[in-house]
Amino acid sequence: MEAVVSFEEFSYSYPTREDVLVDIDFQVHRGEVLGVIGPNGAGKSTLCRCLNGLIPHFYGGRIRGKVIVAGLDTQEHSTAELSMKVGLLFQDPIEQLSGVALTVEEEVGFGLSMLGYPKEVIGERVAEAIERVGLKGLEGRSPYELSGGQQQRLALATVLAMRPEVIALDEPTALLDPIGKYEVFGVLRELASEGSTLMVVEHEIEELAYIADRILLLHGGRILSIDESKRVLSEVSRLKEIGVDPPSVTELTYLLEREVGVALGEYPTTLPEAVRLYGEVLRS
Amino acid sequence: MGVVRRVLLDKRVLTGDSIIHRLDPRPKFFFFLWISVLAYVFYDYVLTALFLLVILALAAAAGILRRILLVLAVIVLPGFAFAIPILSVLFPWNETLMFKLHILGFELPLYYEGFTWGLSWPLKIAVCVSSALLFYLTTEPGELIALLFKLRLPYKFIYMVTITLQLIPLLLDEIQTIYQAQLSRGLRTKANPVKRIWNFLALVIPLTLSSLMKVQTRAIALESRGFSAPVRKTCLYDIRLRAGDHLFFSAMIAVTLLLAYLYLLYGFSPIVHLKFYYVAG
Repeated sequence: MEAVVSFEEFSYSYPTREDVLVDIDFQVHRGEVLGVIGPNGAGKSTLCRCLNGLIPHFYGGRIRGKVIVAGLDTQEHSTAELSMKVGLLFQDPIEQLSGVALTVEEEVGFGLSMLGYPKEVIGERVAEAIERVGLKGLEGRSPYELSGGQQQRLALATVLAMRPEVIALDEPTALLDPIGKYEVFGVLRELASEGSTLMVVEHEIEELAYIADRILLLHGGRILSIDESKRVLSEVSRLKEIGVDPPSVTELTYLLEREVGVALGEYPTTLPEAVRLYGEVLRS
Repeated sequence: MGVVRRVLLDKRVLTGDSIIHRLDPRPKFFFFLWISVLAYVFYDYVLTALFLLVILALAAAAGILRRILLVLAVIVLPGFAFAIPILSVLFPWNETLMFKLHILGFELPLYYEGFTWGLSWPLKIAVCVSSALLFYLTTEPGELIALLFKLRLPYKFIYMVTITLQLIPLLLDEIQTIYQAQLSRGLRTKANPVKRIWNFLALVIPLTLSSLMKVQTRAIALESRGFSAPVRKTCLYDIRLRAGDHLFFSAMIAVTLLLAYLYLLYGFSPIVHLKFYYVAG
């Protein structure tokens, strides 16, 4: 499969902090959803900032190795150039609003207008992006009048309108209430099923288990493991050791096996999977 | 802060459909520049008062008269209160005695030149402020952006202007949040003036730090959306000159010609024929 993102022997130190990322080497393939998990300070957000050239162009610092995104070396291309290839979504929906758009429609079109697209193209792409995130009917509303979940979906629409080859989401639901989280993950599931290439940094591992094809486990700036999500999430003791909570159903199964001696043979990572496995055990 | 916030920031309630609102932003902006320049070209308090009356009439037509009067009361009335008494007595070019005031056994001569000077300057400021408000309060932010685009200003400048107007309410909310947080942590508001200034730091420092952090996050978000791309940006808003706008421009040209004639005939003080000369004269 074609690699859209490629970290090659990559290490990075901020001007004020050493070795935030060390020997990072992995690829994200087209149409793949890569979940990134790890405890606080593991380097997850820094990893996202490398994708669109914010590192090194905005933050400075020392780099070793390369990050190639859609064929472009992020050290040789500006963030503005990379904005067409990579969409970046942050935690706080308010702070990623342009601040000058009066309506949802204008906010979605802001990025395209910055790149000088003709109005007709902007109109088409804006309508399409708004539809994809389920904000149809709210086009004329002020971005500041939306709920947290709607604002984050709006932020996602601003990214989608640019039609990037990969979307990096840095804890997109961290500041949202449960309804907001549900709304955003609903859109992410749809994007994943449509074959979008996503890199999702998330503490909501339960939700990540549903959408991620593979999961990258970061700790202290180093990759501890990168594998199919089921495999990584099944390493319960390893996850607990570094302070990452596995999905509840996975942890329950692990504890039942370790403390009660009931083994299912495999660890479920999502609720439907757990229902199936436990159903089989109970029936037998 | 209350008046400023009510008049300048709670702008969304001012969206209207008056003849002034419907004008293109260009004639309104040009009107602001034009009448402000005229107010400073002529040293004539009657003429300046007439300019102000015209602006207030337009403000009334736009339904924003009360708001503009409120600002003028805050900015211009203190100007009269200070400038008229001081200049009536101490203006260096005073020569025409109006009358003498007797205060506590002292005789205080009041002169015409200083009095009119003290009257003119706050009026000039009133003309500038009210015409600027007339433009600002009847122009949608989108129209303002389109106007700045038409003026071919650099996009960074356009963004700076528009973000300032949009973000001030958010900043005020932030101040309120920090203020309440500090109050609940024991900040005393009823203290002596020195202590109050000291307490003020408890607001300013967190506000500055949080603003700097927000600015950095916003800068990152903007960069990620191609803000610095070296291309000509697309303006999402349209503005178009219509018949009413041409009529407005024509009226300004006609009045300019009339005032130029008056200037050539009578000088910078056509109505009151002031007897003193401005410092340059």
